[in-house]
Amino acid sequence: MAEGRERDAGLSRRAFLKGAGSVAAGGALIQEVAAEAASPSRTIDGATTIEFTLNGAKTEVEVEPRTTLLSALRSHLAIPHTAAKEVCDQGSCGACTVLLDDEPVCACMTLAVLVHGRAVRTVEGLAVNGELTPVQRAIAAEDGTMCGFCTPGFVMSMTACVERNPAASAQELREACRGNLCRCGTYPHLFRAAERVSRELTEEIR
Amino acid sequence: MKGARRTDGPAWPERDTLQVLHHDTPRRSAKDKVRGAALYSHDRRVPGMLYGRLVSVPVPRAEFEVDLAPALAIDGVVAAVKLREGETQFLGQAVAAVAAETPELAEDGARAVKLTFRELPFAITPDQALAEGAPQVRRGGNHSKVRPKGDEAATEEALAASDAVIDVTYRVPVQHHVCLETHGVLCDYRGGDEATIYASTQMAFGIPGAAAEVLGLDEKNVRCIVEHMGGGFGSKFSLDTPGRAACLLAKQAGRPVQLLNTRTDEFRAAGNRSGSIRRVRAGANEDGKLTALRIECEKLGGIGRGAGGPRPYHYEPGASYFEERAIHTHTDSSRAMRAPGHPQAAFASESAIDELAYRVGVDLVAFRKANLSDPVWHRQLDRVAAEIGWHDHPHRSAPGRGDGWIAEGIGFAISAWGGGGHRGAEASVSIRPDGGVAAMIGIQDLGTGVRTLVAMIAAEELGLRAEDVEPRIGDTILPPGVGSGGSVTTGSISPPVKIASYNARKAFAEHLASILDCPSERVRFQARRVFDADTPGRGLTWEEACRTLPKTGIGGHGAWDAKLQGSGVHGAQAARVRVDLMTGRVRVLKMVCCQDSGLVLNPLTWRSQVNGAMIQGLGQALFEERVLDADLGLALNAGLGDYKIPGTEEIPELVALIDEEDTREFPIGVGEPPVIPGPAAIANAVHNACGARVRSLPITPDKVLAALAKLEKEG
Repeated sequence: MAEGRERDAGLSRRAFLKGAGSVAAGGALIQEVAAEAASPSRTIDGATTIEFTLNGAKTEVEVEPRTTLLSALRSHLAIPHTAAKEVCDQGSCGACTVLLDDEPVCACMTLAVLVHGRAVRTVEGLAVNGELTPVQRAIAAEDGTMCGFCTPGFVMSMTACVERNPAASAQELREACRGNLCRCGTYPHLFRAAERVSRELTEEIR
Repeated sequence: MKGARRTDGPAWPERDTLQVLHHDTPRRSAKDKVRGAALYSHDRRVPGMLYGRLVSVPVPRAEFEVDLAPALAIDGVVAAVKLREGETQFLGQAVAAVAAETPELAEDGARAVKLTFRELPFAITPDQALAEGAPQVRRGGNHSKVRPKGDEAATEEALAASDAVIDVTYRVPVQHHVCLETHGVLCDYRGGDEATIYASTQMAFGIPGAAAEVLGLDEKNVRCIVEHMGGGFGSKFSLDTPGRAACLLAKQAGRPVQLLNTRTDEFRAAGNRSGSIRRVRAGANEDGKLTALRIECEKLGGIGRGAGGPRPYHYEPGASYFEERAIHTHTDSSRAMRAPGHPQAAFASESAIDELAYRVGVDLVAFRKANLSDPVWHRQLDRVAAEIGWHDHPHRSAPGRGDGWIAEGIGFAISAWGGGGHRGAEASVSIRPDGGVAAMIGIQDLGTGVRTLVAMIAAEELGLRAEDVEPRIGDTILPPGVGSGGSVTTGSISPPVKIASYNARKAFAEHLASILDCPSERVRFQARRVFDADTPGRGLTWEEACRTLPKTGIGGHGAWDAKLQGSGVHGAQAARVRVDLMTGRVRVLKMVCCQDSGLVLNPLTWRSQVNGAMIQGLGQALFEERVLDADLGLALNAGLGDYKIPGTEEIPELVALIDEEDTREFPIGVGEPPVIPGPAAIANAVHNACGARVRSLPITPDKVLAALAKLEKEG
């Protein structure tokens, strides 16, 4: 499915990865990317405009190959989306967790060009008409937020878990947050939130 | 006991009559935080804003020159400034800063700044600093004068006469605050006479003056906003390097500049908890009494002084003598960090107490109580001992050995803190004709729940629910707050908010007296109703009463009053650990904290604070240590991938107990004390489990295995 979306957009993952690799290595952008009959590719050099859906809305943004998804969301969009936080900038803390085609990823470790044609969801897009999701409600109710800087990341990790498995146990929700760090020490409260989410969703299924 | 109840004027009602306070109340900002609507200084975006970045020399100490021209030659780099001339004193000390149209261009600009430098000799470790011919760190030398306290001769005499004596050294490394929101500021200045500073700070009211000085403006035209901030823990009290740089860049560009520390900047140059080395000689007699305590302390605060802590740490030895000095190294200065000096002091004192109790073969809790006269600690120790399962524990006066694979043990430690507020804070409460109530005080909320407290205090006074009151905080155009350090916030802001609410209520009662046809003293505010105390069945709803107000509404103001708060708290903690004897890995299974803090205003956020403090203590006990390469001066773990803080997998069962026997009817701050005893309690539990005494934090598997090997060798 993801492949299909990429193809529609006229960009292949392989081309992007090659481009990204050359940037990471510190060299100039690859000037030549072999044309693949089955998946047309494009060379990216300098600023380019990508299109993706952000919380369900078609979004365009101009980025460079080096721009991370996190930077694109926070600093390059016409309407900045700042819920995902930059904390470690190396994929260690999960504060920038967003859903990319429904999978949790660290936006600081994802190049913006890689989300072209794909669907990104952030914490800003979860509540519908102001109504919080069960995960959001539970974290608020159990005092799972102190300074709150890590909160969006925990919300997204738990959200991905319950979307994957609506009958997720509290333990599974806890494990879904293994990549998330909190410094204030809200963990026990987040674990209680996980129990509450699991309880509520299980009751709903019954 | 400081603070007292009063019968006239504003007073905290009896505990059991409280309707809002002393009841679990949801954190006011929680909904905004879970939906990403809470705006931090990192999240502020204003038109024309530039992104700033700091530049530093990649060695600990150097003579340097800065050429900004190559940075300014980059299209999109708008401003560049020098921050320092001459020499650097530690790795990461900023020498320049640039501002550009995007964060990526700012990074390009920072890389393009040309640094010409000559590396100078440095002293990173205490040994290097004290070696002959060591490069000088501070003008006064590489160590401060020794400060003695106590009677040395009497202490030596008592040591010589003791039944058991220990002579050991305890080491605590430098720990980092690791605020998830790095230090940073958005300086919204576009030329002209005014500026707004969005700062991640623990002292909003300290920012306008400092920023005005850099911008060359009048302080009263500079406003600071701290709507939300992502942790401080003692490290965010000034405009600081990123703030100063943002102001300088904004002034040069005539455009707003946001400058946030990178995580690397944060680890290298945003402060830390000082390390310490304590040589402890202590004695006890077989009757279980401490006879003598001698501590020689070296504080490791880099170019700063470091934090010492009380001496002795609350236990009462017969004779005592202490020496303390600071050793300076070419490393970033220590800053205040949650209970400065105390965890270090407690680790040494509590470990020593433990070692002596085992030497004389006395129950660890009984030994502690025998050497503490304050009964509050006695009851708190008893409570945590009961909760952790001490009385069924097999190793109460001699350590266990485990079953060859794993071993379980229990450890204890205590703490004390002040937690009182101070003058300076003021508050206003206004009631509008539409029924809305705003409680206003410019104080910042570090994540402790201040915003919620402000609403709760006003709601209690006006007979409303907490959610009926809109708390307005974190802005210097509001009545002044205080700096949030030393656990002073609750004690500093509760009195003015209480008094402002009281005055608003009195004014409203006078207004309502004619409407209710009774003297104002008989007007009651209860359960969102207003009525004459003599005819409680009649009266008005809150909204009906408010509709009688003039358009401008009615309100009250309040200033700090010492009588509405107090100071002085105790705490005791117990930890239960499991040691893997094959790998040396320690797992904390349970931690219990019993803490007094007067009238607990919001037990929900109180528990969050105490649980969080225990978790930070666990991190200091098992994981956290700044690691530097002594030869190259490089920072080896200046990132969250290498500097380990507790994560979801390491969290034990946590029990935060309010000491309900503390009947003081006024609030006391609690942010710091529960962070103190954890490392000592965990170290003591490791020893209790298997006999491995680890005298240096963090208690990593290699140290546990080394201690076990030593034990085996000694038989």
